[in-house]
Amino acid sequence: MLLSAKNLSRTYHKGKVKINALKQVSFSVDEGEFLGIVGRSGSGKSTLLNLVGGLDTATSGQMVVSENDLTQMNRQDLARHRLRTVGMIFQSFNLIPSRTALENVTLALAFGNVPRKKRKSEAADLLCRIGLSGRLDHRPGELSGGEAQRVAIARALANQPRILLADEPTGNLDSRTSQEILDLIKNLNREEGITVMMVTHDETSCRQVAHRMIRLLDGEIVEKKSYEAAK
Amino acid sequence: MKLNDLSLMALSNLWKTRLRTVLTTLGVVIGIGALVSMVSFGTGMQKNVTQAFKDNDLFTSIYVTPHQIDVNAAMSGDVESLAGSLVEPAPMLSDSAVTAFQSLEGVDMAFPEIRFPVKIRLNGQETKTQAQGLPATMANYKPFADLPLGTFYSSDNEKRVILRRNVLHDLNLVLRDPEKKTQVSLEDSLKGIRSIQADSLLGMEIELITSVIDIQKMMRNPLAMLRSPGQASLKELITRVRISGIRKPFGGFEEGRYNAGVVIPIQTAQSIPRLGFSSVWDMLDQNRGSGGYGAVFVRVKDVNSVISVKEEIEKMGFGTFTIMDQLKEIQQGFLIMDSLLGAVGIIALVVAALGITNTMVMSILERTREIGIMKAIGGSEREIKGIFFIEAAIVGFLGGVFGLVLGWIVTRIANLVANAFIARQGGPHVELFYIPFWLILGAIAFSILVSLLAGLYPATRAARVDPVEALRHD
Repeated sequence: MLLSAKNLSRTYHKGKVKINALKQVSFSVDEGEFLGIVGRSGSGKSTLLNLVGGLDTATSGQMVVSENDLTQMNRQDLARHRLRTVGMIFQSFNLIPSRTALENVTLALAFGNVPRKKRKSEAADLLCRIGLSGRLDHRPGELSGGEAQRVAIARALANQPRILLADEPTGNLDSRTSQEILDLIKNLNREEGITVMMVTHDETSCRQVAHRMIRLLDGEIVEKKSYEAAK
Repeated sequence: MKLNDLSLMALSNLWKTRLRTVLTTLGVVIGIGALVSMVSFGTGMQKNVTQAFKDNDLFTSIYVTPHQIDVNAAMSGDVESLAGSLVEPAPMLSDSAVTAFQSLEGVDMAFPEIRFPVKIRLNGQETKTQAQGLPATMANYKPFADLPLGTFYSSDNEKRVILRRNVLHDLNLVLRDPEKKTQVSLEDSLKGIRSIQADSLLGMEIELITSVIDIQKMMRNPLAMLRSPGQASLKELITRVRISGIRKPFGGFEEGRYNAGVVIPIQTAQSIPRLGFSSVWDMLDQNRGSGGYGAVFVRVKDVNSVISVKEEIEKMGFGTFTIMDQLKEIQQGFLIMDSLLGAVGIIALVVAALGITNTMVMSILERTREIGIMKAIGGSEREIKGIFFIEAAIVGFLGGVFGLVLGWIVTRIANLVANAFIARQGGPHVELFYIPFWLILGAIAFSILVSLLAGLYPATRAARVDPVEALRHD
């Protein structure tokens, strides 16, 4: 088991109002698995992904990722977790606009302490592998949505994470490009064995690529399902 | 991420916001410029004073007085304890004391201070000044080693003297300057001032007029003394001497106690009849009937033996005064002045530091998303803090370096202007500012330090950016 969450809760305080974004959520993910997390907006699915990604910390409960308990980690350890264990992609890509495609990837390599000389070639290799060989020196503004998301995926994979966390990766893309990105993520999982957790509001796309899905509603898991056909 | 990567990132961030970087740095430049020019003025003054003392061999002088005067009591006006120190039986500064000083280890020469008021008469013109008896060996010491005109006398009993140039002027004479067309201005010539060749001046005879009490006259008419006690019983005596050399027009503090208007060979001076006292101290001594000299000059061979000789003399029960004692006080004074000058610069620097903080806080607001991204892809708080710290340090370093340049330019201009003014007043060229090496390094280090302090809050704030909040898509 690569990841196991037990009774995970996350409570926000917005002024005096208490919001229970996640309530006692328990689940697990195996190495090489593709887990889809489905739910409407506000269901707590992004909160869950942020907890796995170490961007956020749980209010209570336990989450162990490759034998490390995230709920016990200090901020320095969490940064290391984000760097080494997970790679994240987002609906809005979150590329740094002033940096080229190549530079966005080399930045991640720099945080991973890859020697400067190796960074460029490694980043270029990654981008080519993901099908962006001609766009290395373009800035995010000059890239299409699909291309930008590919750069984001290349960046997420730069430091060889064990889990790829995708938060609505196709939310800003048209249907054709969405399909390409889904296929790409599926390939990474099936061919290269990268464990994937993908958040989406659309179960149809989830069914295409995931092995399993969990459905969240108001911060609680209301459905767990395996897609036998997908395997 | 390695330090050089963080530095490159910081540099590229600063480059991206060039205008803002330049404006922020400019604040630091002005602050450091103010600090450097202010402090260099202080150090320049200090250097000039110390150098003047050194140039005039004043560090090898010890001034010996009969009493160990409590300077603090004298300064604070504590009359009782001052009087107490005078009433205590003190050893006499007699000739044998002078001989004793002379034989101390490390002493070059010792001679009594002889000083009295004198009238000088030349071609029917008269002026009053102070006369001072000094041994011929003073020819080796400043300010007599390099007389502008003529030579110092060569024996202690000849009848040749050194005149101060302004005394000459008071006698209605100016030295002829071959480079000037008009020797005497119209105004001066109306006053009867005329010019004279240097050659004809040297060797010229002058009359030194001193006053003594005329006892016969006093006896003849005792009532006259009651009516006008100043003059009635005085008799004038004339001593004829020749001019051997001319010293510079005005004596500054750097001449110490060798600042008389006319300098006479010491034995000649002793033989000139005069009133027995020239100062209140002498008068007090006379009333107590102790006799002896008012003070004795002791010159040591090198600076290092000043303290040991001074201690020896104090053991004999005399009071001593060295320029070292004074220098300590002067240095304390300079420390206060430097601090005050520095405070002005520091105020400018504090304003600049607030500018840095402000700019960085603004830039963090703009870069929140970027910081969030960096955290999401594995950037640690330490690394993000580092980037902002390095940005602050670069601003500080550049501000320090260019601030030094600005400070230097300001001091050059100020020096030029001040010297133009001084030259118009007939003064010599002075270097008012001095930027020592420690100030160069200190200014840059201080600039970086202040900038880092200014960056402390923004950097911490950047490191604590909540990535979830920062990445929430809008």
